Amino acid sequence: MNRLGVIALAIFLIGTGIVLSLPPATQKRLAAAVQNVVAPLFKAGSDAKNRVEAYATGVKTLAELEKENALLKGENQRLSESAQLLRGLEEENAKLRAALDFKQRSKFRLVPARVIARESATWWTQILIDRGEQDGIEPDMPVLTEAGVVGKTTTVAKRSAAVLLIADENCKVAVSIEGAKEQGILSGARTSTSQSPELTIRFLPKTVEMKPGNKVYSSGVSGGVFPSGLLIGTVLESPKARELDAQVRVAPAVDLARLDNVFVIRTESAPVRPE
Amino acid sequence: MATLIFPAVLILATLLAEALQSLVPALASLHGARVLLFPALLAYGSLALPLPGVLLLAFVAGMFWNLLTLQVVTTSATAVALKAPLIEISTGAHIFLFGVLCTLMHGMRPLFLRGRWEVHVVLAGFCTATLLLVEYLLLNLRRGGFDFSSPVWWRIFVPALASMLLAPVIYAFFTLLAHFVGYPVREDPRESRRSLLSPVEGL
Repeated sequence: MNRLGVIALAIFLIGTGIVLSLPPATQKRLAAAVQNVVAPLFKAGSDAKNRVEAYATGVKTLAELEKENALLKGENQRLSESAQLLRGLEEENAKLRAALDFKQRSKFRLVPARVIARESATWWTQILIDRGEQDGIEPDMPVLTEAGVVGKTTTVAKRSAAVLLIADENCKVAVSIEGAKEQGILSGARTSTSQSPELTIRFLPKTVEMKPGNKVYSSGVSGGVFPSGLLIGTVLESPKARELDAQVRVAPAVDLARLDNVFVIRTESAPVRPE
Repeated sequence: MATLIFPAVLILATLLAEALQSLVPALASLHGARVLLFPALLAYGSLALPLPGVLLLAFVAGMFWNLLTLQVVTTSATAVALKAPLIEISTGAHIFLFGVLCTLMHGMRPLFLRGRWEVHVVLAGFCTATLLLVEYLLLNLRRGGFDFSSPVWWRIFVPALASMLLAPVIYAFFTLLAHFVGYPVREDPRESRRSLLSPVEGL
């Protein structure tokens, strides 16, 4: 190794040492800065992909259009019936609330966001959305679609935010199961991906009783990320007893491999920064 | 000038490949394995650049990859106890890993300079597999418990194989670019013949 090589190696080692000693907050800030740089690139890529897909799906035969029309008519009918039913329930709910003098604990606002990039690493399951600090997004805010919970925000940049999906082992949610009093902790498996999510509820009592098909909801523990009552998935099988607890596999309610539009639940207290 | 242009293009191409990695979807039918573009570029850089350039490439690419894939953990017992987020794999870890890998691969440079393109193919596979394996080991150490089920091996060896298939394309493109800008990626054949005839002189 020549002299220049030795000097380069010394500089490399010193530089690595400095970076390794950076505190987590600085690393988060640096990651947000990198996110700011790459987000426009991802957004442009995502726009181009959407345009190509829109063109490809836009060209349809007459038979396909007729079929779609029939499906939409049926869907419209069902939705009208549901809306009527919900209006009745809403009125009843309002009356009951008034009777109990119920005060709402907190107000939530849904911020719509578009997925601009999927996970790039092999071992972590996260996506990037096009909303960030400027839209009042903060770390640890729940993200969902109309079908159920998607995950929570982690690193938030100016105009983008990383969302850790519920399929990841690091995303833990306190859950309750339809038809059971017991609560457990839901998280993904280490080898779980958005395309093949493996969700498991752990720390359930061995005596827990539930059936496949039962719905799983967030239980909203104090100080947690997810408010109570958000649909997470459905129970896949009967619980398996282990030495100290029981476990049960869950299928997510949301198709995590095909996420395009999501909502971030923002508490009203979170500030929106001006453009 | 060529000594600056070529390394700069190679480093920028590696960073671009890292950034565009999220546009390459995982293969569901292959247990979520994904095609990684940048390890083949890292391998090419390690062979084509002198040691200072290799270390610069490792530093920049390692830091960028770490920041792109940074995992902030808020739900672990330690994070909750400290009331502060934790970083799963610290930013310097990838710089160190890339540095070690690139320096090891740089040792094969004499063969590469003699035009042995297959060296790049083998090293692209080695770099991909080692990178994924070390990442997974670090993750297991951090989270506790070791899980080596079959999807893990699929996700390590399929990308390695894909990198080996991609390597000749990357080799051809960058070798052409090097010739175009006048950057030396081949030893003068007369020089190498002389060094083969008199190995002591060649040393």
